[in-house]
Amino acid sequence: MDIIIQALINGLLTGSYYGLAALGLTIIFGVIKVINFAHGSLLMVGMFAAYWMVRLTGWHPYAALIVVVPLLFLFGYALQGILIKPILEGQRDVREPTEVIIVTTGVWYILDNLALMIFGAEYRVVQTSITGQIFMLGDYIFPKAQLYGLITTAVTAGLVLWFLKYTKTGMSIRAASLDRDAASLMGINQYRVYNIAFGIGAMIAGIVGCVLIPFYYVFPTVGVIFDVKCFIIVVLGGLGSIPGALAGGVIVGLIESTFSQYMTSTWTELIVYVVFLAVLFIRPAGLFGEKRDW
Amino acid sequence: MKKGEYYYRGCVGVLAAIVMCALVVGFESSSYAADENVVKIGNILPLSGPSASVGIQGQNARKLATEYINKAGGIKSLGGAKIVNIWTDSKGDPNVGVTAAEQLINTDKVHLISGAWNSAVTYPSTQVAERYGVPYIVPVSVRDTITERGFKYTFRIAAKDSWWARDQFLFLEEQKKLTGTKLQTIAFVYENGDWGTGMRDQWSVLAKEFGYKVVLDEPYPSTASDLTPVVMKIKTRKPDVILLTSNAADAILLTNTMATMKVKAKAVIGTGGGHADPMFRKNTGKNCEYMFDVVEWETDLNRPEIPDLNAEFKKRYGYDLAGESVDAFASVYVIADALERAASTDPKKIRDALAATRLCVGDSRLGIDILSYDCVEFEESGQNKHAGIILVQFREVDGAMERVTVYPGKAARKGFPAVFPMP
Repeated sequence: MDIIIQALINGLLTGSYYGLAALGLTIIFGVIKVINFAHGSLLMVGMFAAYWMVRLTGWHPYAALIVVVPLLFLFGYALQGILIKPILEGQRDVREPTEVIIVTTGVWYILDNLALMIFGAEYRVVQTSITGQIFMLGDYIFPKAQLYGLITTAVTAGLVLWFLKYTKTGMSIRAASLDRDAASLMGINQYRVYNIAFGIGAMIAGIVGCVLIPFYYVFPTVGVIFDVKCFIIVVLGGLGSIPGALAGGVIVGLIESTFSQYMTSTWTELIVYVVFLAVLFIRPAGLFGEKRDW
Repeated sequence: MKKGEYYYRGCVGVLAAIVMCALVVGFESSSYAADENVVKIGNILPLSGPSASVGIQGQNARKLATEYINKAGGIKSLGGAKIVNIWTDSKGDPNVGVTAAEQLINTDKVHLISGAWNSAVTYPSTQVAERYGVPYIVPVSVRDTITERGFKYTFRIAAKDSWWARDQFLFLEEQKKLTGTKLQTIAFVYENGDWGTGMRDQWSVLAKEFGYKVVLDEPYPSTASDLTPVVMKIKTRKPDVILLTSNAADAILLTNTMATMKVKAKAVIGTGGGHADPMFRKNTGKNCEYMFDVVEWETDLNRPEIPDLNAEFKKRYGYDLAGESVDAFASVYVIADALERAASTDPKKIRDALAATRLCVGDSRLGIDILSYDCVEFEESGQNKHAGIILVQFREVDGAMERVTVYPGKAARKGFPAVFPMP
């Protein structure tokens, strides 16, 4: 068994759910032009929703998607509609509504601490039918839970791209993301578009929750672990770019898994940042980013 | 203005001044009395962040012990003074811990400090307390150097990490003799904080001494989102013995990933912390079976007071007592005993009383009677010289995963010899 091939496999599998976790962040940024600091908390909410669904019903984690996905969509939709919309309205004439960043930071703190209050600080893991299951290809190990994660990432990204490209709502989202004033003049209700975009971001966090639950633990500040990684991935791939988020995720996953075979894993974090800076130096808009003036 | 009116006004003025003075003095003396009747312990604990789970267990244990002591009449030599705990969250961050210590001493005017679980936080925050001359009780933080700086105000109840590492190797030696197992290669896998690196330094010295070949020396960040790369490395190096130092989240992730990746070794030994956390067993299930852990305390110890106290603790907080909560529980009794003998809240006198502590099992103090070792008595350095370590093995007993004491022999649970090497 060649250790590097196994490391590449692991990197690809890990990178795919990193990419999926970053996908929601990039979509919300692409449309609202707001960096959502509550993204980690949305992931946490998604993970807790998935955790409780699986725990209470005993369903397969992917069956829980049926409930978790609409639930998180509504959650994101309401969060944007109730908390963020008033600020966006107040800053109607500003191209970059920076105050919203502060609001999302507040949402992050509130959600994390609410979870701490309700669920306690303990770590929770749920045993599912795919937990610890592996699939062998020759000598190489593919953990089933992560393999399904890879497939889910591909399917989710494909569906989101299709939705944005071919549906009417998708087109209105893209229009609003290009120029929200012009879109409004064309009869698009920009706040409804934002609600939907935020809903999609939260919905993807719910999908991430279902993917992670079979092999990962949940606790109230679990979002923080993924937060910084998601930001790196999104900027690396290009803010607002869906293929960028996936590519960024896989790059980070591969760096972590392959480099750590030659050095201690503490040092691989440094490599991730060096690659990150190098990419920004050569392509300031990120790998797949378009040069825009936002 | 008539002369009489002038005098009258003057008299009123003087009277008013006297009344004011009396009031001020009165208030002062009454607030002084109030201060005299409480002893404030400032607690620095990781109440959020990666070690929050264990921090909150320490907090709960302190709450319960304080309640018991206050209910039994508080500190009698101080007129029944009550112990009051002030909580600060270190988030496991050294900077936050140092600020917390400064604030507790200067703003809250605490009489003692207790904490801080994370060695990285305890190390600099004890320095703050030393500078101000405020006694600092360290129930658990294992880094050796905490009590090796010649400090006069730092007192540690639990064993230091060199004693943990020493017992891990002694256990392996015992098993080599008992079972005839050959152990030649060893891997160190540890979180990259002060605690993990401190353990690693001890391990490398001992490994050389006991003749092991170190095939892997791997630090990793506790907040890693994925530990598969680390596990892959263990798999390729094929060590006979794996020594781990992990916090709770990473202990769970490592154990489950090792099971998925089918990593086998003759012995996998944890170093308390994350492996001692009740969440670890709950969240790894069968994957942790036959792993070993070193720990200062276990519920199956042979002390008659443990079952009742453990039942009460479990009823209130939902989980069993563990090493951290027992040392935290005992620490409040050590503090109360010192205060009783000091008969003062003067930090210097409390410090001298702490230095003269000698509390043993059987002195009818609940907090001491549940310890795994026999006494609390501080060396010159502030280290409790009687603190000791036990080894447990995760075993399935009647369908539930339990921590079974297997070392030292005399403390071992009857009918459960260690399963060695791990199947």
